[in-house]
Amino acid sequence: MSVCTSLVLHLLLDCQRDPQMRLLDKLEDYLCRGLLITFVTLLFIQIILREIFNFGLPWIEELSRFAFVWFAFLGASYAAKLNAHNRVELHLKLLPDALYKSTIFLVDMVWVIFNGLIVYKASQVIAELTEWPYLTPALGWSLAHVYYIFPLAFTLMSLRILQVQYNRIFKNIEPIDADQQQVKESVSVALGSGETQK
Amino acid sequence: MMLTLFGLFFAMLLLGAPIVVALGVSAMGVYVVNGDDFTSLIVLAYNAIDSFPIMALPSFILAGALMGDAGIARRLILVAETAAGKSHGGLGSAAIISCLFFGSVSGSGPATTAAISMLLVPAMIDKGYPRPYAASLTSTAGGLGIIIPPSIPMVIYGVTANESISGLFLAGVVPGTLLALALLTLNYFRSRKHGYGANDSESNAVSLRQVVWDAKWSLMAPLVILGGIYSGFFTPTEAAIVAVFYSLFVGVVIHRESTFAGFKSALESTTWLTGRVLIILFAATAFGRVLVENQIPNAIAESILSLTDNLYLIWVVVIAFLIVLGMFMETLAMILIVTPILLPIMTAFGVDPMHFGVVLVACCVIGFSTPPLGENMFIASSISRAPLETIAVKAFPAVLAMIAVVLMLAAFPKLSLFLPELAGY
Repeated sequence: MSVCTSLVLHLLLDCQRDPQMRLLDKLEDYLCRGLLITFVTLLFIQIILREIFNFGLPWIEELSRFAFVWFAFLGASYAAKLNAHNRVELHLKLLPDALYKSTIFLVDMVWVIFNGLIVYKASQVIAELTEWPYLTPALGWSLAHVYYIFPLAFTLMSLRILQVQYNRIFKNIEPIDADQQQVKESVSVALGSGETQK
Repeated sequence: MMLTLFGLFFAMLLLGAPIVVALGVSAMGVYVVNGDDFTSLIVLAYNAIDSFPIMALPSFILAGALMGDAGIARRLILVAETAAGKSHGGLGSAAIISCLFFGSVSGSGPATTAAISMLLVPAMIDKGYPRPYAASLTSTAGGLGIIIPPSIPMVIYGVTANESISGLFLAGVVPGTLLALALLTLNYFRSRKHGYGANDSESNAVSLRQVVWDAKWSLMAPLVILGGIYSGFFTPTEAAIVAVFYSLFVGVVIHRESTFAGFKSALESTTWLTGRVLIILFAATAFGRVLVENQIPNAIAESILSLTDNLYLIWVVVIAFLIVLGMFMETLAMILIVTPILLPIMTAFGVDPMHFGVVLVACCVIGFSTPPLGENMFIASSISRAPLETIAVKAFPAVLAMIAVVLMLAAFPKLSLFLPELAGY
């Protein structure tokens, strides 16, 4: 536990320059993409097997579902890194900038506490599942292992929330607006990338 | 209980907390106040994510992003542009139909408005359409795609309401077409009256046949997805997976436009879009459970019933509420929050869940293309450089027409339910 705390603090304090954070970013990127590619490919294989060879493997669906669950929760932490979680904040943006930023800081701290409670409660579920294991029907895995995503993803998410706030307060760096980014990308799609075709 | 739940929820929301946190904290709060252990909520919410149907969500998002990268979306727009060229307000109609095509592929209203505005608003201004009018067309039509199958909001509604996603896709076909027709008709008459685009036709240098032939792989994409579902080959989730590989195939082998950078950015945007929606689903499941445990929807339904039992009146109030909410809140988040509260109320009044879903999504279409707070309006304004107020004025008749269509959809359930019933859902 204390190792964890010191690691978190260390990562936080110099998240701009140090290689650990970049390592964490890279790991997170590869893990998310890997999980997404895994479940999409597994399901495609399953469709091919069924439609063409009239044959099914029950573990494929289960494995792809677990990859998806991990992907979904890690994606939530990824969205926290991009500050992309949906808020209703139009009315707050009318406030003076300092007041707006401190309100968001406060509710984000509530968010961190909320995540902490989820990690705590999920750890209890994991402890119970370890003591009385529930084995998944097709793969025979202990469900406790799937539930490890809770402490992992929600801790990571808190780390990302603190990172965004730290950058905003001490470095004056605003996160890039992920929604705007997506809008820009779809414009370049409509216009044809670099106008190479015409 | 109701006070704790909604009080905490709205307080958190107003203070700018992410929607997940507002939902989660208020659900947790009720358990803490009651002295209950909320561990069961976590297990319950986990089970909502660990489900096969919901896997359609990331798969359709990924397919949409890859279709853009593969040049599928761009060819569809070209078809719409060429096909609609010759009548009054032809380029305007092209913009509306392009929004429909692009929107059903991209699944995002603001992204559609941005893409089509960049492409067609300058062309419309060239042809003598007033700047605000051109921008109002793309901002009102930008949301149409989300009701046309394959529709991501319908996937989310289907999962939350426990309704057949394939059935919901079918249910959206007629309403989506009606909304588009309303906008097209309005554009035709307004353009004829003011003489917009009288010389549209001269631009048709490329023949329609040529453009359609060039877009054959793009036009086949919806056929593969929907044909696969309704011929019984695939579930909606599997159809989305097939769409992913179809887009990759077309982009890499046929069009040769896909890039590795585009592939990577498709994976990335799928990650955060999925993550932020599903974490809301996670919290909304817990929130919905607390609602049911405390019989809150029943209580609301009863208090409404004590005021009126006129279903039409109730629909009007619900639709007004949904459209206003849609101006402030992201579509998928809104569906996740509103469904557990409103669906039990509406079914208590005898409304079919599939019918309610269609009206809900149709209200979302209007919500984000509506002045003064719709997202599409801001984007159209910044791209066309027309002031927001002038666009709002020009968009007003279109918004009224869409509201009229939604009221009609609410009053005549058959419009939504006819196709799914025919197909046996």
